[in-house]
Amino acid sequence: MSRGVTALASATLLVVVSVAGLVGRAEQAGGTAFEGTWSATGRRQTLPTEDGGTAATVQLSGPVTLSVGEGLSRGFHGELIGFDDGRSIRAGRWVWTDTRGDRLFGSLEGDGLRTGRGFTGTITGGTGRYAGIGGRFAFTWQYIVDADGGEIQGRTSDLKGQYQRGQQ
Amino acid sequence: MTPARIGTAALTIGLWLWPVPEGLTQPAWHLFALFVGAIFAVVVGALPILTSSILALALAVLTGTLAPAKAYSGFANGTILLIVVAFLVARAVVVSGLGQRIGYTVVSLFGRSTLGLVYSIFLVDGVIAPAFPSNTARSGVLYPLAFSLAAAAGARPGDPSRRKVGALLMFSGIASLSLSSALWLTAMAANPLGAEVAKPFGVQISFASWLIAASVPTLTGMVLLPLILYKVIGPEVTATPDAPAAARKALAALGSFTRQEQIVSAVFVGMVAVWAVAAVWGIDSTAVAFMGLGLLLATGVLTASDIAKEGDVLATYLWFAVLFTISGQLNELGFMGFLGERLAGALSGLPAAWAGLLLVVAYVLLHYLFVSQTAHLLALFGVFLDVGVKLGVPAAPLAFQLLFATNYFSAITPQGSSANLLFAGSGYLSQSDLYRLGALSTAVNLLIYLVIGVPWLAAVAR
Repeated sequence: MSRGVTALASATLLVVVSVAGLVGRAEQAGGTAFEGTWSATGRRQTLPTEDGGTAATVQLSGPVTLSVGEGLSRGFHGELIGFDDGRSIRAGRWVWTDTRGDRLFGSLEGDGLRTGRGFTGTITGGTGRYAGIGGRFAFTWQYIVDADGGEIQGRTSDLKGQYQRGQQ
Repeated sequence: MTPARIGTAALTIGLWLWPVPEGLTQPAWHLFALFVGAIFAVVVGALPILTSSILALALAVLTGTLAPAKAYSGFANGTILLIVVAFLVARAVVVSGLGQRIGYTVVSLFGRSTLGLVYSIFLVDGVIAPAFPSNTARSGVLYPLAFSLAAAAGARPGDPSRRKVGALLMFSGIASLSLSSALWLTAMAANPLGAEVAKPFGVQISFASWLIAASVPTLTGMVLLPLILYKVIGPEVTATPDAPAAARKALAALGSFTRQEQIVSAVFVGMVAVWAVAAVWGIDSTAVAFMGLGLLLATGVLTASDIAKEGDVLATYLWFAVLFTISGQLNELGFMGFLGERLAGALSGLPAAWAGLLLVVAYVLLHYLFVSQTAHLLALFGVFLDVGVKLGVPAAPLAFQLLFATNYFSAITPQGSSANLLFAGSGYLSQSDLYRLGALSTAVNLLIYLVIGVPWLAAVAR
């Protein structure tokens, strides 16, 4: 093997190791990105407020489908429970469960549960292969529709976030 | 054990044991296995629908797939109770003699042929539809008409010589409701919800824009579908040129309205009037039906023994409530949304025209899994519209295609809409008739809305 080929191989190895190191540092700094959709159906129970608005408890569940997100399942069953004081959701909790039964837990807050309103979520922990995970994500409700009897259906198609491991 | 039953058991157990797809929970997958098994059993004739649905419910609870409270929730559903009460009110129309009078009146106007009677059902339905946001309540108006026409034509459920005439008239009720609901924005409760979901995609739907978009394909369907059903069912009696004159004679012989007919007419007209404004005034349609039934019982037009004779009502109530619950729980457990997201996602990369076509066809076929048009729309319409728009399909035509499909796919199975149940439980149609004719009429409508509707919507839907 010529010295030139050896030098080229060494340089290539150096580049690969360097890039891997950079990626690793980037992952530690910003985390691994994930993207997807969340379709949810559930119920809203309302109570009138003094300013003519309504406060509500909401409970939703439905599939979270990820198109990007190395290390995460491609799909989860997502559940959400929250309190909407008429202006925003300040107290919300969610859990995503994958096919193995491993779970991601988190909190959620944002504008009221209506079409076009934005939400941010925090990943506060997990079980199984998601133990020690943390991170954040954001999305906008593409639509929220109220059907008869307090039933609601919604979908977000721009769920994007990042997660990191080793939080616990 | 018959091959059909062995096949049903093998399918159900096979699906149950199949690895759960990524993104679903085990209860969702197991419930899907039970639901598919129950429907498959009916389609292949392994079990009657009552038996298969009850077994599915029992297995769902006993295996821990569904909690009992969730599993039995369908039995308290208002729409399902509305069907039960509408059955009993329709009975009053028959026992009072009013049904016979209605039948003779319509035959005297349209009765020169059996086909004329079928068109009369479509006509009445199409005209009253915009005032009835509940197509289930509307079925309560149409059913006594169809039943009276069948009786006036001499058809009896147990009499093979005229059974097909009754089958044609009853299935026409189902087919008519599937099209009249598509003609008007206000003719089905889910239509305005669909318009709401379409807004974020830039599609503004008003009463007028819906009517214009729906007019050509839907009216084409209303002309062609009765003809096709007539050819396929092949009623024993076709031309009845003397029937109008005979009906007029019979009407004259009936004389003036009896007291019972007057009471039933007043109650029925009152119910129809309140149903028509129920959505606007916030009145519960089921409570209106209960009030009507209560008045009929209080006036003695209907008696407890009349109700005791309606054994079919209990069977219909049981199987529909069970399937309604299981399908609803599949949605709540995320199965329907999962299926929609995965199917729609599989189309990525396709040319817009193909993607649009496949989205509409898949949307229609998925109604085999649903027992409510509203649930189907809420679970899948937004997902399919979003994926189509991202693939370059124009939003407005696709939205209208999917919204019209939400109406005409109601006929695909007897449980596809609560509006079908009165006709399905009439005794004139077997389960295999209902599935065969349901598939046929849905395929015909799909073809009409694609062939006629696509160029029409390209011209009028913006």
